[in-house]
Amino acid sequence: MSGTRVGKRIIGADAPVIVGWENIGRVEGGPIKQFVFTWFQPVMLFAAILFWYYAPNWLAVASTAIAIRLSFTVLLLALEWVNPRYRSWQLTWKEFATDVFYVGLGMTFIGMIESYIGDGAIIAAVQGAFDWDKFSWFTGLPLLLQAVLISMIFDLGQYWMHRGMHNWYPLWLTHAPHHYITQLNINKGAVGNPVELFLIGLGIGGFFDFLPRAFLLAGAIGMTVSVYQHINVRFNTPRWWRFIFNTVEHHSVHHSQDYEATRSNYSGTWIIWDRIFGTCVDGEAEVLGMEGGRRMDIGETMVFPFREGYRSARAQIRRRFGHSEPGARQLEPAE
Amino acid sequence: MLRLPVIERIWRVRGEVALDHPLSAAEAFARLDPLFATAGTHYAVEGERLTYTKRNPSAQDKLATFTSGTLDVVQDRGRARLAFDLSSTALLLCFLAPLLFLAFGQIAETVNAWEKAGAETSEADKDEDEKPKPVRKLNPIDEMLGAPAPEDPNAKKDKDEEEEERHSPVEAYVLAGLFFVIYLVGRVLEPWLVKRRLRAALARPTERERAPATPA
Repeated sequence: MSGTRVGKRIIGADAPVIVGWENIGRVEGGPIKQFVFTWFQPVMLFAAILFWYYAPNWLAVASTAIAIRLSFTVLLLALEWVNPRYRSWQLTWKEFATDVFYVGLGMTFIGMIESYIGDGAIIAAVQGAFDWDKFSWFTGLPLLLQAVLISMIFDLGQYWMHRGMHNWYPLWLTHAPHHYITQLNINKGAVGNPVELFLIGLGIGGFFDFLPRAFLLAGAIGMTVSVYQHINVRFNTPRWWRFIFNTVEHHSVHHSQDYEATRSNYSGTWIIWDRIFGTCVDGEAEVLGMEGGRRMDIGETMVFPFREGYRSARAQIRRRFGHSEPGARQLEPAE
Repeated sequence: MLRLPVIERIWRVRGEVALDHPLSAAEAFARLDPLFATAGTHYAVEGERLTYTKRNPSAQDKLATFTSGTLDVVQDRGRARLAFDLSSTALLLCFLAPLLFLAFGQIAETVNAWEKAGAETSEADKDEDEKPKPVRKLNPIDEMLGAPAPEDPNAKKDKDEEEEERHSPVEAYVLAGLFFVIYLVGRVLEPWLVKRRLRAALARPTERERAPATPA
């Protein structure tokens, strides 16, 4: 496989990746289907913004956001059924049950841990140490601007955390299980080792005392943009959208079996961060995963970072003290 | 070996598929071969029995839910049928998953009660540093566009005096219920799909069967 040159890199030398927008798939079907799957994403984004902008205070609360998120997930599952991007990514009962397990773990166990040592606790500690009132002018900004700032600052943090995971071996060990997914579906964002899910959930958006409504608006932007990272739906995504926002096309390249392709498209919501930092690769891929597409089960996902960390440390110590370890498996970090 | 016929029904699925055309065991297993020739699958045919096990089957493996089993071609009064007896770790884990989430719910409630008890003893230190929070105002652009004004955070505080608990057990209990539903759906859907896939595979002639017989 020859691959395609993107900047200084060759993308698609190990596994098939379509580079560029010219040759990616299109929605197949009549004019109504074309219309729906072209405008679905922008309409949902603007509807969510309008709702959170004008909802009365009693309705503009976190529990409403959770209810909307759940209903939206069910709708997106229906879209996966109606208009799949790839048949090879179609959701099965077992995949669905597995995904819900990881979502559940995030909502319960990881949520409990985060409430003690997550970003909320860290931010409270840091806020106590500085005079953050200096930043109170932020809350005087227009709501939408505040929301975009929150979303972009949070995503910038995620971008570097994610990029760090692909470049520093200990962090990579936590992130690797997520790269063993072989197909993208709406709940696949939750699949991974709990340590990684905790790390990626750390945000820096909350340092400034934005208005609660601005946070909800930022959440709505996240919900109606980054949710499509892991979705098996074919959209005719508008050009302006895929220039600004992360899409399933970008994220499928990131999850490709091609090693160089995985080192691209790190952002969650704003692909412009990747464009700015030179890591964006426009395109899409169908063949996903690691080790030729080996599926990692839940048990291995839970122990992988610790097991591989232990093996690597042991091999390192043996090398240092002159004991050779024949056949020791060197796990290759994606860097 | 210990048999638990009633309990085993949680993860074991038995059934049979009638063979429309008379097929020998070898012919039937040859037609089923594509279902088993997948990554992580080991299978062996001994006479009229096929035994298989799967380790980490791929997501799109047609038999991914059932990680071990046996299939027998049974000749009965001139009619042949394929009897299957399959086991599913996924179904068993899904059946047990509600227990895990019920445990998470219980942990949340226990930690809440424990923290509440701790908070009551240190109530006195808390009341000291109550500073009124500044009332935020909307940007004039938002006022013009008609966005609702933010609530007074000080007024809200009195209302929320009941104080929220740190962990909500509700999600855990909802997930326990959801997994029970997912299990029930899987216990009905997956055997039905397996039967359909076996029937479809048995009806499909192999390449060799399709090839015209070469004259001797």
